[in-house]
Amino acid sequence: MPPRIPSPWDAHTPRLLLPRPIGPRQSKRGIKSIYPPRFNRFNSGKDLPILSSTPEAALKRKEFTIPPRTGALATKVGMTALYDPVTAKRVPCTVLQLDRVQVVAHKTVKKHGYFAVQVGAGSKNPSNVTRPLLGHFTEANVSPKRFVAEFRVKGKEGLLGVGETITAGWFKEGQFVDTRSNSRGMGFAGGMKRWGFSGQPASHGNSLTHRAMGSAGASQGSGSRVLPGKKMAGRMGNKRVTIQNLKVLKVDEPNGLVVVNGAVSGPKGCIVKIQDALKKPWPEITVPPVVETAQPATV
Amino acid sequence: MPLLRPPTRALGHLKPSIRRHRAAKRHIRTLSTAPVPTSQLQPHVEGIPLSMRALYGKKTHKRIKAIPSPPSAHNICPTPLATITASQLSVLDPTGARTRLFAKTNPDAAKVGDVLLVRFRSGDPFAGVCLNIRRRGVDTAVLLRGNLTRVGVEMWVKVYSPNVEGVEVVQRRERRARRARLYYLRQPKHDIGSVENLVRQYNRRKAILGTADAKTASATAGKKKSKKNRKL
Repeated sequence: MPPRIPSPWDAHTPRLLLPRPIGPRQSKRGIKSIYPPRFNRFNSGKDLPILSSTPEAALKRKEFTIPPRTGALATKVGMTALYDPVTAKRVPCTVLQLDRVQVVAHKTVKKHGYFAVQVGAGSKNPSNVTRPLLGHFTEANVSPKRFVAEFRVKGKEGLLGVGETITAGWFKEGQFVDTRSNSRGMGFAGGMKRWGFSGQPASHGNSLTHRAMGSAGASQGSGSRVLPGKKMAGRMGNKRVTIQNLKVLKVDEPNGLVVVNGAVSGPKGCIVKIQDALKKPWPEITVPPVVETAQPATV
Repeated sequence: MPLLRPPTRALGHLKPSIRRHRAAKRHIRTLSTAPVPTSQLQPHVEGIPLSMRALYGKKTHKRIKAIPSPPSAHNICPTPLATITASQLSVLDPTGARTRLFAKTNPDAAKVGDVLLVRFRSGDPFAGVCLNIRRRGVDTAVLLRGNLTRVGVEMWVKVYSPNVEGVEVVQRRERRARRARLYYLRQPKHDIGSVENLVRQYNRRKAILGTADAKTASATAGKKKSKKNRKL
């Protein structure tokens, strides 16, 4: 049937009854917005408290623990020590290096339900990047990144401009940070190594079972089954570990180095998320950090 | 009864169009084509429904240009640990003497098996046989084994610690040790015991020659004890 020429009569007909538009149908993809939330007549009206299970309430509740500004991605270089020449105090430290850390995208309450900064680090050969991802980077006017991570921020003010570079100077000497990284993978480990089980005696008639887990649970009394979450042998390590309240001992901006007190989880060369410590007062950044402002590309 | 019409009657007017549609379908089904060489095949746009035509157009992807990468931090600072260590050592060991004393490249460096005397900024000096040298940049340390009140004592000394005032070689081992770590010296059979006498002799000789003449003293002492009076 050829497409009908719309008559003035059609203007008053409901859309549902009109012939379908010609052409391929465009499917909408992406994250479905929860903002504004669906109207609910039981939940709207004057002087009603915000229900505790709504997204707004969740954001308000978490506001206290979400940092006002973004963090950065760094590579763990290794550990060393710093000496105070006067007090002769030795402080073990971990050296982290920031490599081409740039803001790739924003997450906003309006579109995604929360505020966050998507940060990328490192570099990747463009031929190894899929077309959609390449478009994502190019739109932000940043080179393809090897690592991409999100850092939640409290509000709109914390959204550092897309394409801007985060250098080591983002962190201040003396401030406290939290680091998140994947711990060193131990492979398949037994109960003794993985959970600290005591194993079984070496003698007293024991034969061939010295490092075994032992019983996995009681019989009839507890249902003759293994309870969920029972500690057993399995893959150990390579889990994300957060280390809180590490003091920033040294910042070397030209070399992109941030030296933090103590140990950071993971092997050398692993990627580490650094963000202002949650359990300390937010650092007072008086001088705005020097950032290279990049013009967003018009694609 | 005219009021009780069958419900299908309402859709009766669709009948002709359905029939026409069916006829058209049969027509397509019986369509036969003569074989055409593949080289002559033309895109049969006419056969494609209007709504699908856009999908059959020539596939042209706009090339996405990748933004060139900024200079890598790894190129600017390829060895961050060495950089941090160097900045530390410029303060802790400005002359570089202590670095040289434990450098692997230095043939006159202190080696395992030598008797070392470490003087601290606070407290008594400690002397002992060097069992192990742990080279870790600014964390470089030596393990000394000596005696305190006739009891064997071992002590790890951080070489670059500001608490360490000086490290002196009291006596060199006669022959180069053939192990990197001389832990066998802990066994009673091999234990050197107290190095107190050696230190006393060393101090006496040093007092006679004077620290200023350390270089000449080391020169006269021969190659074996060349570093003897070196104060670091």
